[in-house]
Amino acid sequence: MILVNYLASAALLCTGLYVLLTRRNLIKIVMGLSLMEASTYLFMVSLAYRAGSTAPVLAGPPAGKTARQLAHGNVADPVLQNFCLTAIVIGVAVTAVFLSVTVRIAQHYRTLDADRVRAMRG
Amino acid sequence: MTGPLLASLLPLPVALPIAGAVAAPLLARLHRQLAIIAGVVTLCGAAAILLLEAPSVFGGLVRAHYLGLWTPVHGRALGIAFAADPFGLIFALTAAVIGAVLLMYTLSELGGLGPRELGGYACLFQLVIAALIGAALTADLINLFVWFEVAALASYGLTAFFLERPIALEATFKILALTTLASFAVFLGAGLLYAANGALNYGQLHDALARHVTTPDLIALGLLVAGFATKAGLVPFHGWLADVHTATSGPVSALFSGLMYNFGIVAIGRLALQVFGLGGGAPILGLLLTVGIISALLGAIMALAQDDLKRLLAYDTISQMGILAIGLGTGTAAGTAGAVYHLVNHALFKSLLFLCAGAILHRTGLTKLPEMGGLARRMPVVAAAFVIGAASIAGIPPLNGYVSLSLIHTGLLDGHQYLPYALMLAAQVITIAALGKAAWLAFFRRRAGDYPQLEPLRPGMVAGLAGLSACCVAFGVLPQFFLGSVMAPAAASLLNPARYASGVLTGLARLPALHLAFDYVSPGELLSVVACAAAGAAAAWAYLRAREPAPVRLLRAAHTGSVNDYAAYAVAGMLAVIAVLTLAR
Repeated sequence: MILVNYLASAALLCTGLYVLLTRRNLIKIVMGLSLMEASTYLFMVSLAYRAGSTAPVLAGPPAGKTARQLAHGNVADPVLQNFCLTAIVIGVAVTAVFLSVTVRIAQHYRTLDADRVRAMRG
Repeated sequence: MTGPLLASLLPLPVALPIAGAVAAPLLARLHRQLAIIAGVVTLCGAAAILLLEAPSVFGGLVRAHYLGLWTPVHGRALGIAFAADPFGLIFALTAAVIGAVLLMYTLSELGGLGPRELGGYACLFQLVIAALIGAALTADLINLFVWFEVAALASYGLTAFFLERPIALEATFKILALTTLASFAVFLGAGLLYAANGALNYGQLHDALARHVTTPDLIALGLLVAGFATKAGLVPFHGWLADVHTATSGPVSALFSGLMYNFGIVAIGRLALQVFGLGGGAPILGLLLTVGIISALLGAIMALAQDDLKRLLAYDTISQMGILAIGLGTGTAAGTAGAVYHLVNHALFKSLLFLCAGAILHRTGLTKLPEMGGLARRMPVVAAAFVIGAASIAGIPPLNGYVSLSLIHTGLLDGHQYLPYALMLAAQVITIAALGKAAWLAFFRRRAGDYPQLEPLRPGMVAGLAGLSACCVAFGVLPQFFLGSVMAPAAASLLNPARYASGVLTGLARLPALHLAFDYVSPGELLSVVACAAAGAAAAWAYLRAREPAPVRLLRAAHTGSVNDYAAYAVAGMLAVIAVLTLAR
């Protein structure tokens, strides 16, 4: 049932948010944000779901069906799945930048504690 | 030129800087400075194409081009639409022209860097500008998200670019965490809006939302507004902003503050006013007004409390973004036109001020105001430019800030918003105090010793400062021209969402003409300017003598510098925005 997807997505979002707001370890903050990101993908794919639908592939329709029937029938929403692909690509890039900055911080400050990397305040 | 040809040129101003960005690292291998020079050329090319569009678009046309020629059928758009309306075009033009000026300035200030550095710098810089122009021209929600991410990724690179100051790493982590959080909000908002309405094209979304606005739509609007408010640095989404400016060099700060944060305001204007048709029954204008006033006041107070010049200017940016939100939140013709006017003005004077701060940093190696002093005699050009920029923000005639602030005041008074008007004047007084304090401490105070190092300005830097100063004056002395030919059409586009929607869906629409008069010698305005300036000077004097007041100390203590706390403020703000929009219909 699709409700499970939404619940799982909400649980992932809350876990990630909890980590982001309470953990001071920079790696854990990055992991928290990655969890939140995963929850948005799950949410989008779930929004695209239609009960009993087929994949929105019009080439090579199954036996007894034409492409036109498929297009007018019950298919999952490809646009939202497309968003996910776009966001996954962007997410990989962002995580890479995140981790490289974290490595540089670790090299320079010799710590991963966000509380000790806050020279600028006020 | 014919209309279809002009429309088909629309993707070029984005494609040119992207091509320049890809080529930049390679060009830098041929010759060190070639990458930057090529960047100036691509940005000038983008500006030239946008200028070709200008006469008809500022004449009141909305013109759209559909990428891949996927034209809408029966009012349903599948492909991405690029549309030039006066509001988007003026922002795109500002981004291209000021971007070229900033790159030229960079060539002069940082031209001694190695080929790898200059190539990477030119690449990231052009990517930011391409994203801003793309965001200004696009009429597709998910495309807007993509430009948001392009600008964000390039800005991370630029923030961490000058690692000789290790605080740049700390700042990069903060901008990364907060902007990533914002990108989730924008992504979820766009997806929800699509799932609820089956459309991504602004025009199609507008038509669907004009029929009925449901709760998921409003949640989506809340997420989008919160996400773009993070990009704009509005309170309480602003935690990262001041740190970024403390760490970066002058031209990068000028690019971020002058141009990139405006992206957030432009996107909010598009979504709240044009797509949702002034809110569709939800109190979006009141929300913008409230957030704007809080940002204007808090930014100004925090600016007054700083003793780092760039940090002071960064908090003032938050305050100016608040003023822009107030202007959009008035919902009146004068206020909206004032907001668009102020958008351009802010790009001019804040770039100018950050270039001044960067020039001081690079000439003397100092960032703290108490260590400076007497620079008016030693760096007269920088001092003159700084005073022009500061007086523009202060709204002193005949400079550009006077015109835009007066228009926003008129808009507030037209809508009988007397309390916001009073609070905006209070923010103005504190802003004048903060900038007055900075100008006094850095330039006009006597300084006992001489500076250990003091390099002269290079010609390109002087040209950049002079050009931006001249624009500040021009936008101040020719208000009727800019108001009538640029800002009034832009306000007409924001306030007539149905016409914009039809232009985006059919490829061509004419906006109704909007006539706005500006009274340069209105006694009330002049009186309020004099009163504000006097009160601001008194406040600066009092602040420099007295101990820090308790409320200011509390506010500073709330800016803990911890990324967890800043994320918590942003999440709380996001929830509050969604709650207000969904519950108070």
